[in-house]
Amino acid sequence: MPSFAGDAQDEENGEISEFIRGFGCVGYVADRALATAAYLLVRLSKPLLIEGHAGVGKTEVAKALASYLKTKLIRLQCYEGLDAHSALYEWNYQKQLLAIRIRERSDKPVEELERHIFGDDFLLKRPLLQSILCESFSPVLLIDEIDRADEAFEAFLLEILSEFQVTIPELGTLQAKRIPHVILTSNSTRELSDALKRRCLYHWIDYPSLEKETEIVRTRLPEFDHELGSQVVRFMQLVRRMNLSKPPGVAETLDLSQALILLKKKVFDPETAEEILGCVLKSADDLAKIRNEGVGNLLSRAG
Amino acid sequence: MGRDLESIRSVVEFCRFVRENGLDSGIKATIDSVRAVGIVDQGGLDDCRHALRAVLSASKTDWDLFDQLFDAFWFGCRLGTRARPVATPNSAVSARNKQGIYLEVGNPASREPGATKEERKIVAGASAMDRLQKVDFSRVPQDHLAELERLSERLLRRMSLRLSRRFRCTPLRGRIDLRRTIRAGAARGGEMMELRYKNRKKQAVRLVILLDVSDSMNPYSMFLFRFAYVLGKHFDQLTCFVFSTRLVHVSDVLKARSLPNALRALSAITTCWSGGTRIASALGEFNRSFGRRMRSTETSVIILSDGWDTDEPGTLVAELRTLKQHARKLIWLNPLLGLDQYEPVTGSMSAALPYIDVFAPAHNLQSLLELERHV
Repeated sequence: MPSFAGDAQDEENGEISEFIRGFGCVGYVADRALATAAYLLVRLSKPLLIEGHAGVGKTEVAKALASYLKTKLIRLQCYEGLDAHSALYEWNYQKQLLAIRIRERSDKPVEELERHIFGDDFLLKRPLLQSILCESFSPVLLIDEIDRADEAFEAFLLEILSEFQVTIPELGTLQAKRIPHVILTSNSTRELSDALKRRCLYHWIDYPSLEKETEIVRTRLPEFDHELGSQVVRFMQLVRRMNLSKPPGVAETLDLSQALILLKKKVFDPETAEEILGCVLKSADDLAKIRNEGVGNLLSRAG
Repeated sequence: MGRDLESIRSVVEFCRFVRENGLDSGIKATIDSVRAVGIVDQGGLDDCRHALRAVLSASKTDWDLFDQLFDAFWFGCRLGTRARPVATPNSAVSARNKQGIYLEVGNPASREPGATKEERKIVAGASAMDRLQKVDFSRVPQDHLAELERLSERLLRRMSLRLSRRFRCTPLRGRIDLRRTIRAGAARGGEMMELRYKNRKKQAVRLVILLDVSDSMNPYSMFLFRFAYVLGKHFDQLTCFVFSTRLVHVSDVLKARSLPNALRALSAITTCWSGGTRIASALGEFNRSFGRRMRSTETSVIILSDGWDTDEPGTLVAELRTLKQHARKLIWLNPLLGLDQYEPVTGSMSAALPYIDVFAPAHNLQSLLELERHV
C-alpha cells in the first residue's frame, strides 16, 4: 500500500486550521475541505471554482476570504451577453470627444493630444483590469455566476486566468504585479468548458448538516435565541428533504431567522410560520406543497 | 519542503490511478497535486484528501467519485460500481439482410395491413396534397408513396431554408457603437458623418439529430431519415446519429449528393436497422463521445424516437440530465404522439418528460413542418 512519507494520521496542518479560525472570525463557518481549498488557492495562485446549489454561501466565500486576508474584493457579476469591454476596460469615448473639441483651437502638437486622450483619466477600468492593476496587495477577484456568461466569454477568461495579463492596444501589455486570488462561482445551470475547469481548483458546497447550519445561524446572528435558532434549522432541514423545485439554502434560513428577530417572536408557531413562509419558498408550487403537508405538522416534527 | 521522492511517486501513481478510473486530469493536474501535497505536508491524510480532491476534480460527479477512489488507492478498499461505466459496444446486434431491411423500411405500407380502402379514399381526393401532409407515415398506401416523397422533399426543403435563413440577417439597428463610429469618422477628418451600430450577434444554431431506427420505429424511420437528409442539406452545422442498440454517426452519409445514394451508404454502414432499442445506452454513448464537445448555448438536440426502451428508465433519466446540460433545447419528436389514444406512459417516456423542452408528434409531414416553430 502506498503511503505518504512521514505521514501522521492525527496531525493537522496548522495553517489550514488558521484559515478555519480566520473564516470563523469574519462570520463564515468553513469546514476543513473548504479551508484546504482556500489555502491552496492562495498558495498555488490557482483560481478556485466553487459549485453548489443556490444560497449555500458560494459568494460569501470570496467575501470572507477578502476580509480574512484584509484585502479588497473586486466583483464581476456575469450575465448573458457580457463582453470583454464591460469586463475588462473601455475608453470613455464621450469624454475623449469633448477633449478633442476643447483642444481643437490650441496649437499643441497632435502627439500630445493623443497622449492626453489615451491617458489614465479616460480609461474606464472594469473589474478584471482593476484586479490586475492592484499594486500593493493581491485582491480577491470574484467572478460570480460564471455559468450565466456565454462560452465566448469563458474562452476570453482563460488567458487572463492563466497569464494574469491583458493587452490594451493603446497602452501595451499590462502584467499583474500581484496575482489576484480568483474565485469563480457557478450554479451549474450549464456545464463549463473543460479548458476552464482544468485551470481551476474545484470545490463543491453541499447543503450543510444540522450541526453546521446551527453553527452558521449562531455565528451570523449571535443575538438570536439559541433554542429558537435550532428549531428554525431543524424546520429548514425538513423542508429541504421535501423534494421541492427550489429547495431553500442557508441564505433562506438566515432570512427566516432575521424575520423572527424583526417580528420579535419568542416562539416559532404555525401562525408565524405561515406569515413568513415567503422568506423560505419562492415558488407557488412549492408553497402549495408545503401547505399540503401542513406547516404545523412540519413544525411539530421539527420540535 | 520536506518531501522525498517516495511520496512524490505515490502522488503521481495516485493521479494515474484516478485518470484510469474516470477523472479527466492531465499532467498539469499531476504537477499541481504534487505541489498541493507538498504545501499541506504537515497535515494528515485528511488534509491531503481535501487538497487532492480540490486539485483533481472538475465537477460534482468527480467530487462524488473522488472519495471512493482515494480510499481504494490509499487503503486498498474495493472500488464499488463505477460512476462512469465505460461504454460497452453491444455485440448482439442482429445481422440482418441489409437489402431486405432496406426494402422493408422503404415500403412501410406493405407491412401494414391497415392501409384500408377508407384511407385510400382520404388521400385520393381533390386536395390530395393537403391531405397527404396529414396522413400518418405508417398508413400511406403504396401507390402514393412516391408522391409523398416528392411533396415532403419540397416542403421540407422550403422549411429548412426558412429555418437556416432566419439566423443570418438582422435588419434591426441596435445601439450606437462609438468605437466604430469614431474609427469611421477618421476618414472624414474626424467629423462623424455616419453612425455605426452594434447589435447582438445572432448565433448560428447547431442541430444534432438522434434518430431511432429500431424495429418499433420501422414504419417511420425511413421518412424521418429523409427529413434529416433534407435538413442536412441546409444546415451547415448538422450532426446526425442513428441508434437502436448502439449509436452510429451518420453525418457523412447525409452529405451524399442524392437521397438514394444516402440510403445506400446508410445501409452499408449500419448493422443496427430494426434491432431492439436501448435508448439510454445510445444516449450515454453520445454523451461520452460527442456530447462533451457540444456548446450548450448553440446546440439544439432533436431525438426522434417512440420511447420504447429496454434499458432502465433511471438510466435514461441520468443520461438525459447530462445531455440537457450540454444542450440549449432538447426536442423529442415521437411518432406515436400522432395516435389519438396514445399517452406517454411507458416507463422510459414518462421518466424522460421532465427533461424535454418540446415534446411533439412526428407521424406525418405536417408535424415535421411544425418543427420550424420549435428550433
